[in-house]
Amino acid sequence: MIGLATAAPVVGAAFIASTVEVVEAFTIVLAVSVVRGPRPAVLGAIAALAVLTAVVLIFGPLLGAVPVHGLQLAIGALLLVFGLGWLRKAVLRAGGALALHDETAAFAKETQSLRQERGRDGGRTADWLGGVTAFQAVLLEGTEVVFIVLAVGARPGLLAPAALGAAAACILVLAAGMILRAPLSKIPENSLKFVVGGLLTGFGVFWCCEGLGAPWPGGDLAIVGLVAFYLAAGLGLAALVRGRLARAAR
Amino acid sequence: MSSLKALLATIGKMFAADLWLTLIALATVAICAIGLRAHIFSPVRVPFILAAGVALALVVGVVRGARR
Repeated sequence: MIGLATAAPVVGAAFIASTVEVVEAFTIVLAVSVVRGPRPAVLGAIAALAVLTAVVLIFGPLLGAVPVHGLQLAIGALLLVFGLGWLRKAVLRAGGALALHDETAAFAKETQSLRQERGRDGGRTADWLGGVTAFQAVLLEGTEVVFIVLAVGARPGLLAPAALGAAAACILVLAAGMILRAPLSKIPENSLKFVVGGLLTGFGVFWCCEGLGAPWPGGDLAIVGLVAFYLAAGLGLAALVRGRLARAAR
Repeated sequence: MSSLKALLATIGKMFAADLWLTLIALATVAICAIGLRAHIFSPVRVPFILAAGVALALVVGVVRGARR
């Protein structure tokens, strides 16, 4: 039986990480839909979702065949590197060393690029191009979602809660997008990325220790402590970066 | 073909956003594994060594990123 202390961070990590990725994919699919109509946008997105589903159906059962400790170590190390990458970027953005991701600007850039393509070839292959753009956006952002779901769910009984978190994020973002019919620029993407970076890093350290045969004292509850530790470290580092940049600007 | 190239680039970026951060994190995992096997580290200490090494990797990644 999976306890709440184990399932809640898994659902939360999959939900928040998927929200960030789905928002980015939605912006590009919306841009294709606005410039070329909904048909190529929807077809491209469906084709990418089919590829991603096939990947999950192929690799999901394979994970069950790998010895648990080896799998936890491998997934833990990958999760660690992936989570640290997100946390580092979020810290640099929060500290002002990197520009924040702007969905409105991304939407404007994508629509402009698609309109230029339409003007260049008279619209003959523009539908195809729009479909490929939507396909690529959903495939690339979806790859990260699939990795996160497989990684945080890499323990017996946890794949379903992870998939549930990701599915909830997809439904929420699509519902919000359909109501607003505009890029979801109000979503605090960097704050979400910050939290996910901390969650994935915490999970990565926890899985690695389990895989090495050196479990944390406190069992699954240690995940909460680890996530809090890396979030606090990230916040401290962001404050240091902000202070350093302020001093340099004076 | 362009989708495949973009996919490979995305996967590359997922795991190697900053080379030093990736190297320090993976080296910490390797050191813990070797230390544990060789009975240099006790299983009780390994979680804390790993957590500290990962925190160090984050500090290095942020410091390098802020300098750019």
